[in-house]
Amino acid sequence: MDEIITDILVIGSGAAGLAASVYAAESSQQILVIDKGAIGRSGSTVGAVQIASLGSWSHREDSLDAYQQDIRESGRGLSSPVLTDVLVQDISARLEDLLQWGLKLDKNEHNDILVAATSGHTIPRSISSKKGKTGLAILQVLTKRAKNSSNIKRWSDVITLELVKANGRVAGAVVLDLKENKSYLIRCKTVILATGGIGQLYSTTSNPAQSTGDGFALSLTAGAALVDMEQIQFYPVSLIHPPSLSGLCLSFYHLAKLYNRNGERFMDKYEPETMENTTRDKLAIAIASEVEEGLGTPGGGVWVDATGNIEEVKRQFHHEYQLCLDRGLDLASHLAEAGPAAHFIMGGIWIDGDAASTTPGLYAAGESAGGLHGGNRLGNNALSECIVFGARAGKAAARESARMKSITDGVPLQTKKADKIINVISNSEQGTERSYACKKAVQTLMGKYVGVVRSTKELLQAKAEIKAIEEKLDQVKITSSPDFYSKEILDYIEAVHMVTTAQAIVEAALTRKESRGAHHNKNFPEQLTEVKHTIVKVENGKMTVQEEGEV
Amino acid sequence: MSRLVVKIDRSEMRTDQYEIDLKTGRTVLEAVEAIYHHHDPSLAYRYSCRTGLCTTCMMLINGKPGLSCMKMAEPGENGVLHLAPLPKGRTIKDLIKEV
Repeated sequence: MDEIITDILVIGSGAAGLAASVYAAESSQQILVIDKGAIGRSGSTVGAVQIASLGSWSHREDSLDAYQQDIRESGRGLSSPVLTDVLVQDISARLEDLLQWGLKLDKNEHNDILVAATSGHTIPRSISSKKGKTGLAILQVLTKRAKNSSNIKRWSDVITLELVKANGRVAGAVVLDLKENKSYLIRCKTVILATGGIGQLYSTTSNPAQSTGDGFALSLTAGAALVDMEQIQFYPVSLIHPPSLSGLCLSFYHLAKLYNRNGERFMDKYEPETMENTTRDKLAIAIASEVEEGLGTPGGGVWVDATGNIEEVKRQFHHEYQLCLDRGLDLASHLAEAGPAAHFIMGGIWIDGDAASTTPGLYAAGESAGGLHGGNRLGNNALSECIVFGARAGKAAARESARMKSITDGVPLQTKKADKIINVISNSEQGTERSYACKKAVQTLMGKYVGVVRSTKELLQAKAEIKAIEEKLDQVKITSSPDFYSKEILDYIEAVHMVTTAQAIVEAALTRKESRGAHHNKNFPEQLTEVKHTIVKVENGKMTVQEEGEV
Repeated sequence: MSRLVVKIDRSEMRTDQYEIDLKTGRTVLEAVEAIYHHHDPSLAYRYSCRTGLCTTCMMLINGKPGLSCMKMAEPGENGVLHLAPLPKGRTIKDLIKEV
C-alpha cells in the first residue's frame, strides 16, 4: 500500500474540519485535510441558516452566564459544564477572526447587524450572513484561508476505512481514493475527526448525503469512547411533501401555527405557554405523539400555517420560502405538511475542553464530538460549536504534534477493518447484495424502531435487524469497473460505518432507562432524578455500554 | 404511467439511454438516483445538500448547466432528457467532475 506522510490529518471539511485545519496551520505543522466528497461543500455546514454568538451585536442583558445557562437548561442535565464554558468563552473571538478574514454579517434597514430570536435562547443572539446562507458563507471564508495556507493540503473524494494505531495512540489512517479506487496508508502524529452527523441513518433527514456517521464508527474501532449516543435531535418541523424536498427544515416554525388533522392547534395541550415556540425535543415529541394517536395528516405529520407571519418568514428565511415556491408550495396561501426528521446528534465522541478524545492522538470537533448540547441542541449553536471546537482541536493537535519528535515512520501499523473492507470489495463479483439497498435497510429500521418515540421492544428488534444487515454486507455485489470511481463502493463503505454507528445508538438507547432530552422511551416515560451519561466503547472487538455520572 | 427517456453522456465516449417513469415533481437528481438504483449500478454522480446550496450536483441538463437537485426531470426539445458532465475541467467518471 502506498504511504503518505503528514503531521496532522483532518478528516472532514465542513466548518469544524476547515476551522481545525486553518488554526492548526498557524503552527509550522503540515496539515492534510480530506473529504469523501468535494472539499468544503459536502457537509451539514452548507445548509446552516444562522449562528448564535456573543459580540458587539449582543443585547445589553446578554452575557457569558446567560448564554451558558440557556445551553445547560436545554441540555436537560447532560451538557458538559467544561464544554459549555469553552463555547461561551471562545465564541466572540472566533467570530471576530471570521469577520477579519472576510465574513460579512447581514444587516437591518438601519444598517445595524441583524440579530434574531431563536427558540430556547432567552435573549436574541442569532446572526447571519449571505441572507441566511451563513454556513455557506463561513465555508467560503475558511476555504479561502485554507487555500492560502502553504502548509495545508486538500484532498477530495477520499474516504477513511480505519484509523490505525501505534504504541497505544492513533498514528494514521487507511483511506481509499474513490477517484481511482486506490488505498493509501497515511502516517501522521495526530488525527482530527470532523465527519459530521448521522442523519443518513434515517429515511427522513435534513442532512446531506454524506452524513452517514463515519467518524463514530472510526473512533470506536480506534478505542475512543462515545457519550450519550441515544440523544438524536429530530428537527420537529421538516417537510413531508413534495418528496424532492422531504426533510427540509422549516426554520420558521416559531412564527407559524401547527394543526393536527382535526384542525386543533395541539401545542395548546403540550406547551400552553410557549405553544410552537418551544425547544426542538419537546416539539418533536408532541408531533410524534399526535401522529401515534392517529391525529396526523395523510403523510404522517401535521399542518404548518405560516400565513399569519409570512412577511417575516420571507425576510428571515428567504431561501426556504423560495425553495417551496419553486416546487409549487406557496406558504403565503397554503399549509405545508411537515413532521420530525433526523437532524443532529448531540451525543458523539467524548472530548475534553481541547477537543481531545479518550484515545491519545485523536481529536474530534463539530457534530462528531459529543456532550456540549446534552439532551437537546438549541438552534444555531451547531455552527458556533464547529468554529469554537474546530479551532480548539486544530490548536491542540498542532501543539501536541510539535512536541512529538517524529511520525511513526517505518513502524508497522496494524489494520483489521480496512483489510476486510478491501477484501470484500475485491471479491464482490460473486456477491448478491446491492450496497445502496443495505444503506436503505438501515434507514428504514432506524426510522421505524429508533425514531422520536421509542420502546424497549422496538430497540431490541432494531438490534437484531442491524446484525442481519451487517452479515449481508459481507455478500455485497459491486458491478462497476474497479479502475474508476464507483458509487457502489462508496455506498458499501458508508454502509459498513452506518451499521457500527447504528449499533452504538441502539446500545446507548437500550441502556438509558428513562426519558430525557431527545430520548423518549414509552416504557420509561419519566426522567430520573440522578443524571447519568451513556458511554459506548469497543473493547476486544466487543461493543460495551456503561453509565457514568458527571463527565 | 408515461415514460421519460434519459440519455446520459458517460465516460469513455459512451452514451447510454434509459427509460424511467415520468413523475410530476421529480427532480433530475431523483431521476439519476432511480437509474442508479434500478437500471445501472455503474453510473457515477455526485450530490450533497439536495437544496440548491452546495452546487456539487451541477451537470449539463438538456445542454445547459444546472443543479440536478433543483431542475425538474423533463424532456428537452428532442423529447429526451439529455444529461452530460460539465464541459470544463477533468471528468472523474460519468457525471462527476474533479473539484
